[in-house]
Amino acid sequence: MKLKRTILFIRQYLCVLVTSIGIGVSFSCSATEVILNEFSVQYVKPSDNLSAIFTLQRRYWVNGEKIHVFVLSDESPLHKRFVKEKLHLFPYQIRRIWNRQIYTGTGQPPFTVSSVAEMIEKVKHTKNAIGYINTREGVDENALYFFNAQ
Amino acid sequence: MRCIFLMLNNSRLLVCFFCILFSIQVNALTDKEQGLEWNALSLEEYKQPWMDDIQFHGFLSQGLFHSSGYNVHGKSKDNIATGLTEIGLNMSYQATDTLSFSAQGLYRRAGAQTGDAGALSLDFAFFDYALLGHSKGQIGIRGGRIKNPWGLYNSTRDVSFTRPTILLPLVYFERSRALLLSMDGGQFYTDYHTDWGDIFFKMNVGVTASGDTELLYAITNNTDAQGRLESSPSFVTQVKYEIQGGKYVLAMSYADLVSVYQPFNLLDTYTGLNMQINSLLLSAQYNGEKFSLEAEYNTQWNDFSGIPHILPVRRVISEHWYIQAGYRILDNVQMIFRYDSAVLSMNDRNGLNFAAATGMPKHGVYTRDIVMGLRWDITAHWMLRGEYHRMQGYSMVTAMDNLDLSLRPAKDWDIYALQISYRF
Repeated sequence: MKLKRTILFIRQYLCVLVTSIGIGVSFSCSATEVILNEFSVQYVKPSDNLSAIFTLQRRYWVNGEKIHVFVLSDESPLHKRFVKEKLHLFPYQIRRIWNRQIYTGTGQPPFTVSSVAEMIEKVKHTKNAIGYINTREGVDENALYFFNAQ
Repeated sequence: MRCIFLMLNNSRLLVCFFCILFSIQVNALTDKEQGLEWNALSLEEYKQPWMDDIQFHGFLSQGLFHSSGYNVHGKSKDNIATGLTEIGLNMSYQATDTLSFSAQGLYRRAGAQTGDAGALSLDFAFFDYALLGHSKGQIGIRGGRIKNPWGLYNSTRDVSFTRPTILLPLVYFERSRALLLSMDGGQFYTDYHTDWGDIFFKMNVGVTASGDTELLYAITNNTDAQGRLESSPSFVTQVKYEIQGGKYVLAMSYADLVSVYQPFNLLDTYTGLNMQINSLLLSAQYNGEKFSLEAEYNTQWNDFSGIPHILPVRRVISEHWYIQAGYRILDNVQMIFRYDSAVLSMNDRNGLNFAAATGMPKHGVYTRDIVMGLRWDITAHWMLRGEYHRMQGYSMVTAMDNLDLSLRPAKDWDIYALQISYRF
């Protein structure tokens, strides 16, 4: 009888443990982060539509100055994750939009960087810049700002 | 034992507590940037974006065609034609925040239309001045040679990566491509972005490059015509509505194109020919993660005047439409299916009048095409694809590649095509 109760309890305990770890993992799993510098951050509102900025349909900050967008290559898993997670687009869609702009001469695609380190560096040092990284944890936040979408 | 249970009970609470604490920490991290004091860089430390104000891009594609019945982009009938070669190079220069310049050169080798040596052309070259740019959209003008906003694909019709298949749907008129390709003139454009979707409006006004020989053959239905068509002021306009960044697209395009025939000599029988084309194209597209679906429908009013002795019927209304479905087996592999239809005259869909008047078979007035294709995006820069077309009728067959057409035109025929493309 005691054994039965023990097993039952262990099962309950395991259940809570698994659920808790699940919750913990879901919180600790780093979401992609949109980064800005001190210039661009002042023009961004939490309600701003990120996909309009990254698809270059919105090209200007509210002060009328041109937005400089930085991205990683199409093949980068982080790029794919960012496009789905933050822009709510499929990676092929954003490439299609950029291609249409490139090959009709109506827009310059975002500047492609080769690593997250380069992304941080470029966004920090370019006026009106916006980019993204995989996580804000462990990032030297000096002069780097994060965008919190509504 | 009771003690152990108590401990376990407590540890359950402990685990929960740690998790909640952890999530609070994560949330705190998410919100903390508002309160931080930044070691901000001084203004001098910000650079202007190095050299991304001048950009070069390009593309290259090579196709192989094999067909029965008719030639496609070269001598493909019962043979293999290395027809379609497309090479483009473009440059764009962002001079100021509101002023930019772009130009693209295009080399195209597409069977007899361009000859074996191919043809070089200036695909577009224009300035773009943004009159107003704001967080919800923009208003601007462009001047020079500008691509025409026509349906889903016309503006990038020679860029293989942007096409759904190697051969575009019939509504994009391979024969009369020159009519809608681009406009020498001006464009007014405006975009407006709202929470419920994005609206894009474009209007091109100017003259088109209608001096193309295949276009002349298509209009006159006569490969002996020797003069050339010259465009009068025309316009092409499009309004497009996109939801969720293009997941759903609805578009309406309208073209009003006027051309006047320039006779080859005094005895030219087409002297006096005036052509006015009014064309309406409705487009709808759904782009899902795996599945995509699209359809376009076009009605075109072709008015010819000035040569009643050759073209007694002044107005011919033609119709083109297709429905296409795509499925992504993998992220970079897509299957495409399409049913495509074109009729030269809605009053003579089955060609009875045509056959009676010309003695030619009825299937000269329509083309039906069932397409199956597979596309593999090897990398972001390389793409390989193949497709099969089951064709019926020959109304859209290019005359220059098929000068012996009148001998015994086939009704049912096939096209097999393969293409490799590169872009940068």
